[in-house]
Amino acid sequence: MTQYEWTLPDVGEGIHEAEIVKWHVAPGDRVAAEQPIVEIQTDKATVEIPSPVAGQVDALLAAEGAVVRVGTPVIRFAVETGSGRTTSAATEAPVPPRETPLAAPPRSRVLATPAVRRLARELGVDIHQIQGSGEHGRVLADDVRTAAARPAAVADRPPSPEPRLQPADDGDVRVPLRGTRRTIAEHMVKAMYTAPHVTAMDEVEVSTLVAWREEMKAAARSRDVHLTYLPFIIKAAIGALKRFPYLNASLDDERQEIVLKSRYHIGIAVDDEEGLVVPVIRDADKKSLWELAEIIQDLSRRAHEHRLTREELTGSTFTITNFGSFGGLYATPIINYPEVAILGSGRIQKKAIVVDDDRVVVKPVMSVTLTFDHRVVDGGTAGRFLNQVMRYLQSPLDLFMEMN
Amino acid sequence: MVVGELTEEADLLVIGGGPGGYVAAIRAAQLGRQVTLIERDSVGGICLNVGCIPSKALIRVADEVFQLRAAASRGVHVEGVTVDMAQVQQFKDQVVGRLTSGVRQLLKSYGVRVISAEARFIDSHQVRAVGEYETQKVQFKQAIIATGSRPRPLDGLTVDGQVVLGSTELLAIQRIPAHLVVIGAGYIGLELGTAFRKFGSAVTVVEWADHILPGQDPRLVRLVARKLTELGVAVHLKSRVSSAVVAEESATLSVAGPGGEITLHADAVLVTVGRQANTDHLDLEAAGVRLTADCFIDVDDRLRTANPDIAAIGDVTPGPMLAHKASYQGKIAAESLCGMASAVDVAAIPAVIFTDPEIATMGLTEDAARAAGYDVVVGRFPFAANGRALTLGAEPGETVVVADRITGQLLGIHVVGSHAAELLGEAALAVELGATLEDLALTIHAHPTLSESLMEAAEVALGRPIHVMLRGS
Repeated sequence: MTQYEWTLPDVGEGIHEAEIVKWHVAPGDRVAAEQPIVEIQTDKATVEIPSPVAGQVDALLAAEGAVVRVGTPVIRFAVETGSGRTTSAATEAPVPPRETPLAAPPRSRVLATPAVRRLARELGVDIHQIQGSGEHGRVLADDVRTAAARPAAVADRPPSPEPRLQPADDGDVRVPLRGTRRTIAEHMVKAMYTAPHVTAMDEVEVSTLVAWREEMKAAARSRDVHLTYLPFIIKAAIGALKRFPYLNASLDDERQEIVLKSRYHIGIAVDDEEGLVVPVIRDADKKSLWELAEIIQDLSRRAHEHRLTREELTGSTFTITNFGSFGGLYATPIINYPEVAILGSGRIQKKAIVVDDDRVVVKPVMSVTLTFDHRVVDGGTAGRFLNQVMRYLQSPLDLFMEMN
Repeated sequence: MVVGELTEEADLLVIGGGPGGYVAAIRAAQLGRQVTLIERDSVGGICLNVGCIPSKALIRVADEVFQLRAAASRGVHVEGVTVDMAQVQQFKDQVVGRLTSGVRQLLKSYGVRVISAEARFIDSHQVRAVGEYETQKVQFKQAIIATGSRPRPLDGLTVDGQVVLGSTELLAIQRIPAHLVVIGAGYIGLELGTAFRKFGSAVTVVEWADHILPGQDPRLVRLVARKLTELGVAVHLKSRVSSAVVAEESATLSVAGPGGEITLHADAVLVTVGRQANTDHLDLEAAGVRLTADCFIDVDDRLRTANPDIAAIGDVTPGPMLAHKASYQGKIAAESLCGMASAVDVAAIPAVIFTDPEIATMGLTEDAARAAGYDVVVGRFPFAANGRALTLGAEPGETVVVADRITGQLLGIHVVGSHAAELLGEAALAVELGATLEDLALTIHAHPTLSESLMEAAEVALGRPIHVMLRGS
């Protein structure tokens, strides 16, 4: 008997991950080749995967509901030596893999070109820890950059060479651009030079929201949750995104298509010493405000501990940045490319505002910004979207009324 | 008159100006460092002065002589070919001179200060540089040790420069020996032995192992052994010099082998029984630099020694003693000391042997790949089926590709044949990039060239060669 691990194949179309929807087999089950073993869901489709071998299921390596990257082992079989087949990450699903001998080849050396190896060292990531997206697990330059952007990698990266800071004659210190910092730099440049950025700004009166949050503070304490405004902002954004699908989208440059996302995975920008990270709340539209508050708390804590998984750092469809948390009133954030817009929330402060009957009253006011990719979205749509967000923030009851 | 020693300061000190050291010096200078290089002889090291380059110059001339004599079979009748060894040496010296002065120019243009002296460590950040006329201390912030290697001596046969020669002395010889005995059938011995055979010497090779070119894949070596026989080179395997009497112009060697003891009379004896790292006269202990059990300098993958301000490269570090390994490491070490994240990270180090025919290897051999656990597929393509090889009169030869059967990834490429060394560049790139058999097979190779054999060998492995029949099909 030989053990054989089956890895999630590259299903093409630029999909790098899939969700395990349902296992049709359990450990101990005997399976025939071609028998459906699992249902997986990608951004584009749900697919039944046939067993690549005949044998016994040894272990399921990914749970139902898990989002798995291409190339990750998902199931292990025990197969009769010589009767099975092996495959690799590169065979196309759901086409069963071709017949090949079973001996597992040694894989001590990661498949990558010398230039990619150098890039990994420069970005301070251990190339052995990277799941290559190329054929046969080949690590590509983009894989390295993605891995470098994931602070979770920080903990298990090998001791990186101590940067030799050489003060110049004038006393300036030159710090090498490395790791997360360099990845951020590259992402920002790509986003900024690819998507023409336009920012709309406005202010919204949020006295109801402030009152609601005050009212819920005690309940939050008893639940041991820190209730911020962010869950409300997320809900407001999603409510608006549902009305304006072009904001929950990305532009596929290669195919010249705008991809309208069916799900609402919300990225939240978290400031960290190592640099900006953006953990993702998956299917945020299906979560309650309490759940959102708990998830945010968990994600930002683990972001600071550099313990976020790759899945938790990729796949967002729309991003929210709360620059108000550093006291900012206005900012023009950079879009989390390839998304098409980023919502910014500023500091809430009391302001004198003129109400309908020309009286001046003091109310809490939050500044909001929407930065959008003008290739996909025009000012009118963006403005209407931002107005919708503000409407929800101003009268959260609307949000409540629309909840499902 | 200065009493006592001068102390000079060096930002980055390179000890040894061979193919490792001078390359390290230039890369460090490119990265903005002030570089001082200490070299006791001539920049360029063994490789340029008394190694790779001069030997290739002599081998090429010897081959020309051989080709002229063999030209009759192709319709060219040349009478009275004679060799003026003094003139051959002039040609060789010209080649060496041009290259070493080129290196000196390069170092100068990068502002590298070259001190002609021999260095020994005083402590972790100082060396004493002992030159012909003066001695000085050099205090360095960081240093790279690139002192190379020297021929291993053989007890009872001390190199005298007259009869008993090392490779350095034979490369400078002004005469063609009547009978050259080569002790050691490694690549240096066989390269030079073959060359002098072609110049007209009688040549006898004595080797302790049971085959020539120990350490090389016997399948590749086969053609070289055959050619040695054809050339009339006598090869005594499993044999050793049991005693030697060296006179002024000749030597008498007793050689013990499987057939008993034989006596060889020679007017030149080349001793090439390996090389040893120059790590013993540096006072490395004073610098806090540690050695491995077999006297190489212990380095990490960033080429740092136990003293983090000192790196070591080339023949003084473990691994094959090859100029291109030293040059690669020179760049890595310079970058590493300058704070870059560079590290030694290659699939394999290519190697070339300028025997007749040449052997060029990159990566795993068939046996090594199997031993590593791969399911191996091998493609062999004979030069005899390659048009260019035939026009060159170079049919003895073969190109071998070794790949992983499952992924098709090329694990090793080996060529034995004329100009094999020049075919190795593509092989090295393919293995280093992790290219597959299909990649090699689907790349158009210009016709008529020997490089087509790489493509064809890949197609043999894929089971669809055009120019050879597959056995059993």
